[in-house]
Amino acid sequence: MWVIYTLNGLYFAALLFLTSLGLNIILGVMGILNLAHGSLYAIGAFMAAWTIIQIVAKAPPFVLYLSLLSGLVLAGIVGFLMEKSLIRAMYKRTLEYQLLLTFGALLLLEDVIKMIWGGQAYYASAPFELMGNVDILGHVYPTYFLFVMLITLLAGLFVWFFMGRTKLGIMLRAISLDREMATGLGLDIGRLSTFAFVLGSGLAGLAGALVVPTTPALLGIGMEPLILAFIVVVVGGLGSLKGALVGALLVGFTRSFGIALLPEIELPLLFLIAGIILVVKPQGLFGR
Amino acid sequence: MGATAVSVGAMGDKAFGQAKKPIPTTPIKIAAVSFLTGEAAAPFGIPGYNTFAMCADAINKEGGILGRKIELLSKDENGGVDAQVKLARKLALEDKVDVILGYISSASCQAILPLADEMGELIIAYDCGSSELMEEKTSPYKVPKFKLGFRSKAHLGIDNIGLALVIKKYFPKIKSIAGINPDYAWGRESWQVFEVAMKKLMPQVQVVKTLWPPLGNTDFTAHVSALMGAKPDIVHSSLWGGDAVTYTKQAMGMGFFKNIKMAYSRGEPYPQEVGKDFPEEQIICCAGTHYFLYTPKDKASADLQKWFVAEYHKRYGKYPTYPCYHAYQAIYAYKYAVEKAAKTAGGWPTVDEISNALVGITFPTPSGPLTIREDHNAIEDVLVGFTKLTPKYPFPILDPKRLEVYPASQVNPPVGIKTVDWINSWK
Repeated sequence: MWVIYTLNGLYFAALLFLTSLGLNIILGVMGILNLAHGSLYAIGAFMAAWTIIQIVAKAPPFVLYLSLLSGLVLAGIVGFLMEKSLIRAMYKRTLEYQLLLTFGALLLLEDVIKMIWGGQAYYASAPFELMGNVDILGHVYPTYFLFVMLITLLAGLFVWFFMGRTKLGIMLRAISLDREMATGLGLDIGRLSTFAFVLGSGLAGLAGALVVPTTPALLGIGMEPLILAFIVVVVGGLGSLKGALVGALLVGFTRSFGIALLPEIELPLLFLIAGIILVVKPQGLFGR
Repeated sequence: MGATAVSVGAMGDKAFGQAKKPIPTTPIKIAAVSFLTGEAAAPFGIPGYNTFAMCADAINKEGGILGRKIELLSKDENGGVDAQVKLARKLALEDKVDVILGYISSASCQAILPLADEMGELIIAYDCGSSELMEEKTSPYKVPKFKLGFRSKAHLGIDNIGLALVIKKYFPKIKSIAGINPDYAWGRESWQVFEVAMKKLMPQVQVVKTLWPPLGNTDFTAHVSALMGAKPDIVHSSLWGGDAVTYTKQAMGMGFFKNIKMAYSRGEPYPQEVGKDFPEEQIICCAGTHYFLYTPKDKASADLQKWFVAEYHKRYGKYPTYPCYHAYQAIYAYKYAVEKAAKTAGGWPTVDEISNALVGITFPTPSGPLTIREDHNAIEDVLVGFTKLTPKYPFPILDPKRLEVYPASQVNPPVGIKTVDWINSWK
């Protein structure tokens, strides 16, 4: 069973990593703590579920898998509009304003989702079922979970390469290191911030879209991932890619092995570990 | 009719019982509260809402209750307990509804029923299952707990005792069980009753794992493999709604059902929801005898069942699930109680008179006769079955050859005794 517990931990960590990656980019580059991040996750989930339900009867399987990207696209668009209208005004304000505003955006988006998709549950499990299972050391395991891990790996590699090796990424990192100096060097902060926000939102949308074949899209689906993503970001260190990865793995494995071995204290255990790390290393494992 | 009613009215209130009360010509306002949005909407709230509408139409078509038509006010149970308390106050004090029929969540019921006496409003809980709702901390306790608060269905005791009885009958040799139940009153109470009943009926059986996922959990993989790792013979679960569907699908994907059987305390809606892939040979309880393929023994109920299933399928394109039957029980309990009370009251009865009439009332329902006792709680028979795929339906049905029905007297505690205490007193 240990191999399955490990895979479960990895799968959960993968989804968390995707969610917290977006949160982390936005926080690192723009200094914005986006409480509405979970809503972008929810938008990705609803969009993907809705798309799958529309095309499930006629489309071949690979189109179904491809349609998961609709969640990424819509969340990216919503992120773009949000940055242009609401977030823009917050850059020079203090943290309290950001929290108030992004919390307002969370409530607003929740109602928009309700307005568009209603209060119903959307079941879109076709991609999960079509992929079937594989045999791993004598245990049955759904192929779809491996698919999610693969997509997350690709997304992680993409962000890593992008941030470390491309000019755009280096400019974003420059902003995160020293916003004033970056402005002084003539970087177009406005446009770069929009880009970072859209990227972060898209990643949240992708995470929501990937989860929806395994569970129905429901109002409030983004709340739990938001809270866990915050733990990941805080434990791993604000703005650190490596931290997000290690934090996600820590939460994923604590959950998987916690439920298997100490089910009654699985959740407190998680917060206990996070608490200890913060006491010993207040800036997080890889924080600056 | 009023004159004859007065002559029989020996039981009515002393002074007022004799006076002839007029029957208003305005419609009866009935508030029906159930989840119209959120996770519980699709599996429970909407079916309940549909059935309230269908029954109100049926009653109105036959001339209403004592000639008064029903005006249904459908309200959403979503939004948390505080919002529900406010809504109930508004319905009672501002909208002045005649009765509130409602509530799926045990949390809602526990907050709202105590308001009945305070507001002087008749409230009939229609679907919530908490056994502690109508019970006190120790037995024996005094009944009723609420003068104007009722529940027109049996509590979760019947489901979990029924499951234990079926397991004893069909799987006498099992060695271990486990549980996966949502982490709040409903899940905790369900497991408690099941565990106590199993200890009493099959003391040799070990509990090897109990898991408590939060309500609305989206990833059950860790739970599924933890259960598989513990290797129980049977896993008990009171998961419901999206949780039950998500859990079942993820468990199917992980090969859970190869070696382990599930016993769902309220599994009846999910084969229809999941479809033909829902695993066979699973143990499913119906929260009573609420099953569209079950025929009650008495003719009146059997005829109602025929009409109910056909009419519901015609209107909504699905077979009625247990929340539908619960909605029927609530609205007809009110109808029959008003008619019974009117006979002694000689006209439109007061809430107190309707409340008195509800006690001890028995009437036919599509799933068999229903009785409301002096603890203001109904008792029901319970049906447990095994899923089986047949050519006739696009989802597994309960195998007609193995439908186990336990009479109400065998699965409901006596009035004034806590369920757990009663089970512990079994010989």
